[in-house]
Amino acid sequence: MISWLFTKPLWQGAAMFDFLAESPQDRARLCGRGASRREFLQIGSLAAIGLSLPQYLQAREAGRTRPGTDKRSCILIFNLGGPSHIDLWDMKPDAPSEIRGPFKPIRTRSDAFEVSELLPRHAEVANHFSLVRSCHHDGAAVHDAGWQMMQTGRRFTGGIHTPHAGSVVSHLLGRRTDLPPFVVLPQLMGRGGGNLPNGQAGGFLGKAHDPFALMADPSRPDFKVPDLLPPDLIGAHRLERQRKMRSIVEEAVASFEASEDARLMDENFHAAFRMMTSEQARSAFDLTKEPQAVRERYGMNRFGQCCLLARRLVESGVRFITINTFLTVFDEITWDIHGSKPFTSIEGMKDIVCPMYDQAYSALLEDLFQRGLLDDTLVAGLSEFGRTPKVNPAGGRDHWPGCFTCSFAGGGVQGGRVVGASDPIGGFPAERPVKPGDIVATIFHSLGLDHTSHLPGPGGRPFTLTDLGTEPIRELFA
Amino acid sequence: MNTPSTPGRILALLIAISSLSLAAAPQPDSDPAISFRNDILPILSKAGCNSGGCHGAMAGKGGFRLSLFGYNPKADHLAITREALGRRIESGQPGLSLVLTKPTATVAHKGGKRIEPGSPDYLTLAHWIAQGAPGPQAADPRVEELFISGPKETVNPGETIPLRVRARFSDGQERDVTAWSRFTSADETVALVDGSGSVSVIGPGEGAVTAWYSSRIVIARLSAPYPFTVPDAVYANAPRANFIDDLVLAQLKRLHLEPSPPADDTTFIRRSALDTIGRLPTPAEVEAFLSDDRPDRRARWIDGLLARTEFIDYWAYKWSDLLLVSGSRLRPDAVKSYYGWIRQRVADNTPWDEFVRQVITARGSSVDQGESNFYAIHQDPESMAENVSQAFLSLSINCARCHNHPLEKWTNDQYYQFANLFARVRAKGWGGDARNGDGRRTLYVEPEGDLIQPRTGKPQPPAPLDAPAIAAEDPRDRREILAQWLTSGDNRAFARAIVNRVWGNFMGVGLVEAVDDLRASNPASNEALLGALASHLIAHRFDLRDLIRLILASETYRRSGEVLPGNREDRRHYSRHFPRRLSAEVLSDAIADITAVPEKYGELLLNDGSTEKTSFYTNSTRALQLYDAAVQSYFLKTFGRNQREITCECERSNQPSLVQVLHLSNGRTINDKLAAPDSRVSTLLARHTDPAPLIREAWLLCLNRPPSSHELESFVSVYNDAGPDQRRLVTEDLFWSLLTSREFLFQH
Repeated sequence: MISWLFTKPLWQGAAMFDFLAESPQDRARLCGRGASRREFLQIGSLAAIGLSLPQYLQAREAGRTRPGTDKRSCILIFNLGGPSHIDLWDMKPDAPSEIRGPFKPIRTRSDAFEVSELLPRHAEVANHFSLVRSCHHDGAAVHDAGWQMMQTGRRFTGGIHTPHAGSVVSHLLGRRTDLPPFVVLPQLMGRGGGNLPNGQAGGFLGKAHDPFALMADPSRPDFKVPDLLPPDLIGAHRLERQRKMRSIVEEAVASFEASEDARLMDENFHAAFRMMTSEQARSAFDLTKEPQAVRERYGMNRFGQCCLLARRLVESGVRFITINTFLTVFDEITWDIHGSKPFTSIEGMKDIVCPMYDQAYSALLEDLFQRGLLDDTLVAGLSEFGRTPKVNPAGGRDHWPGCFTCSFAGGGVQGGRVVGASDPIGGFPAERPVKPGDIVATIFHSLGLDHTSHLPGPGGRPFTLTDLGTEPIRELFA
Repeated sequence: MNTPSTPGRILALLIAISSLSLAAAPQPDSDPAISFRNDILPILSKAGCNSGGCHGAMAGKGGFRLSLFGYNPKADHLAITREALGRRIESGQPGLSLVLTKPTATVAHKGGKRIEPGSPDYLTLAHWIAQGAPGPQAADPRVEELFISGPKETVNPGETIPLRVRARFSDGQERDVTAWSRFTSADETVALVDGSGSVSVIGPGEGAVTAWYSSRIVIARLSAPYPFTVPDAVYANAPRANFIDDLVLAQLKRLHLEPSPPADDTTFIRRSALDTIGRLPTPAEVEAFLSDDRPDRRARWIDGLLARTEFIDYWAYKWSDLLLVSGSRLRPDAVKSYYGWIRQRVADNTPWDEFVRQVITARGSSVDQGESNFYAIHQDPESMAENVSQAFLSLSINCARCHNHPLEKWTNDQYYQFANLFARVRAKGWGGDARNGDGRRTLYVEPEGDLIQPRTGKPQPPAPLDAPAIAAEDPRDRREILAQWLTSGDNRAFARAIVNRVWGNFMGVGLVEAVDDLRASNPASNEALLGALASHLIAHRFDLRDLIRLILASETYRRSGEVLPGNREDRRHYSRHFPRRLSAEVLSDAIADITAVPEKYGELLLNDGSTEKTSFYTNSTRALQLYDAAVQSYFLKTFGRNQREITCECERSNQPSLVQVLHLSNGRTINDKLAAPDSRVSTLLARHTDPAPLIREAWLLCLNRPPSSHELESFVSVYNDAGPDQRRLVTEDLFWSLLTSREFLFQH
């Protein structure tokens, strides 16, 4: 019996609803006249027992997780465009003017570092986060190359697509509640100009571990998860009948089971049904449950409300949330401050991007801390690269993977620290260089996963979570 | 942090090296002169010095910059011998040169140790310095061709195979260049390769290893059979209709994969209709086919599909994806004219070479000469060149814009030769703003003008890829010469590109994957078949309908999706049919057809988020009849239509997602259409009083087959349990269950 629990695929948790419907008293409740949709949904939520705990225990028994990390989650903020480390987190006030740029550093609540005057609220929460100033990668200086490496820890070669860190968590630990284990807000990354896979997918672990992408803007007044609920006119009784009829039709397609896409479609039906029948899931996505003051503290814009939604999802048991700060680097004001059109100007960063980011990021850390969630929630602020030490003729800065800064807070990370250092112009790491694999290993470490354990790769070839020679940034923790 | 070596240590090392006999160094044949181009650069490339992550980066590393993998020998020679006050070279004491002390990590080197002191490469570098570090010469022999030897035709998992690479130079000499070649495996589930060219076979399938040397590449293929035992008779007795089947079965036999039996008739007609015209067969068509007992009924069915107007819809849509017809790029009149031109070519069955020739040599007004809009979307010579190459050769040359392609043979010079073919294309009128203006633009060709290559500051002589150059003063439209070269039967790359696209449309998996990525380093899963299909197309004057007929008639196409123990693992070799989700447009149209409630299209959504009304479409316009991909539709977007932003098949996704399932289950598309007063549900209820014939008709509409007796009985009992007052709702639920079933959602 125990082994059955351990080996049963996760999505079969959804079948529990059918099981409930099979018992006479529940059937009576369901099929009783006038069973409303609400009633149906409430009954549905009983199915939310879930099989995630056994899978978690299984993972731990297999030595995959560290004790004390059971409640850990990760919010990965991906700063599309590549923020200018020299103008924000790694300022060079003593460098010549063409390096140091127009902005000044300000003091923070940490003795270890200053930040830019563009980030005054970061200064107030500097005791909660730490900076890694020696990140670099050796991929091409195009956006998508960095997206791929920073979210998966590897550059894709030989047709091997390494999964996103969130997909690895989905695979190893599974879902914790009715919500999917890995969610992307507000939608998947768009194109980056280099035509490379952006790493926001399940890769060789399969599409079943792709993230659930919201596909909606939570700052809109009419925001809701698209199609989360059936139309009002379809009551509990009909939903059950529809599913029964569908299961009869589905019996005919045994040969589909060899097709990954067809299997995935089936799993999606189970996952969708589970989400739509779960009070918890609906509530998690309902931002109207938040006081207006809280919503405004995060900022009434897409990124701000995504951060707030991410906190609600963490509270509802989602293990991994990736927030895309922007959707692409085209047609939008982003961190991509080349200085000239069609990209963003340095004023665009100063007046639009920084205030938005500063407000939402500081709100998220404060809020998580006040709710006692910060210790168990890693907030990683990553990007595909930094920007050139030298200001270009347009007054902007261009792509620079040679050195950049990433931030970490919560999830066991001690705040107020600096790890690594860049050279005097922010061009290359001067101390303790950190590679994309180290960053991803740090995320796994916070979540209790051993980065040297193995994943089943294509053709059964085992892959370590991150490459040999990568290590979590342990100085952030102890 | 690292303590730099003392001068004494360096001296000791130098003495140690000097004491090695010079004869121990590899002397290139009898000539002791070491060539910068042919001896030194390959060493730097192999050691990774000039890779993108090191000194080959655009900005160099640590103040030392080399061209990426040595595409600019002159600049590299200058950087090594003259920059940094010449301190990288010590002619009198080569061992003290930074070029040697850095890569050996004798002094601190962030890149670590790349070259062993005293190794043959080390000694070659030292000799070269001692010879005065001569630079590249115009007369240096160039690599003309690479050869690779090693694997036999079939290999087995667990085997290790050493590869050898030889280069033939323009002076006729041949050299073993294995030590300076860079190796990559095309499929790391089949084979791994290390830096020395040693291949480890790790799994079954078709693998390939690419060797790169001096901007040339060569491929070694390996075929590792699956561990199944399939009797020869299985292949001998398998049905064959044409050469496709011969070549596929030959490969299945080589790989020990078992072919699945043919699909039944209803599966075949559903599959072929979806793939050819993007539409489900109607119940009447299914019945007619099943009751036709003429021996050539399949051939007749195929001919019927090729003659349908939906055939024109489907293929015009497909080529509009390829040519980026989009209201977010062009003004409405231009969209209409561009689409109209494509559609008319499909209707006329214009041969593909002629179609492409007309696009490439387009001139005139954007609203009268629809094809000229290709040049309204791509407005500079570089993008014209890149998109012509990507669209019609499935070849991405973009990397070579800034440097030699790091994995392919294309050089920066070739890129600018190619792009210079478009240097004289000009236009007057509308400039390209997607929201404003009349979209009227007149394309013409100037009699003179050249594109400057930034690296040299001079134009490259205009030339198609791998073809002789055109004289700069030649007054002809250079695009005519390009079109001639591109579409000539000798240019097999052109035929291969379109064959692979068409094949991928029907088989779900291209012979080359992705279907529009025909790099030399990305070989076909079945090279013999791709070659034979390309020859067939050339011989049949690029008649795509003929090619489509050939594929549809093959037994390979008709194979069932049944999974056998001997082909479960196959994903690429067509031992069985691979089911795939219907594309966004086909699915949307199928739901509209079945429910008899069309979808309405009236608004464009532009890239900046603004919307614009369009009056091009009527209430009966199908998704596959839309001119452009900017037409607002949540359904089409969610199900992954091609957004037509860039020339890439990767813009389309047929991948299932949770969001799609939520929309099918709860969204308006299916639920609203079923509940509509004039929907199919109403007509069926009016026609049938008994549930059984109603169920049967719904089944034929959605799944194109009658229900089994078990299915029919189960559904009849649902009707009976519900009672007569529930008939409408049960019928809606019946359709819901069929339209959300995988048998409906998938082509199989």
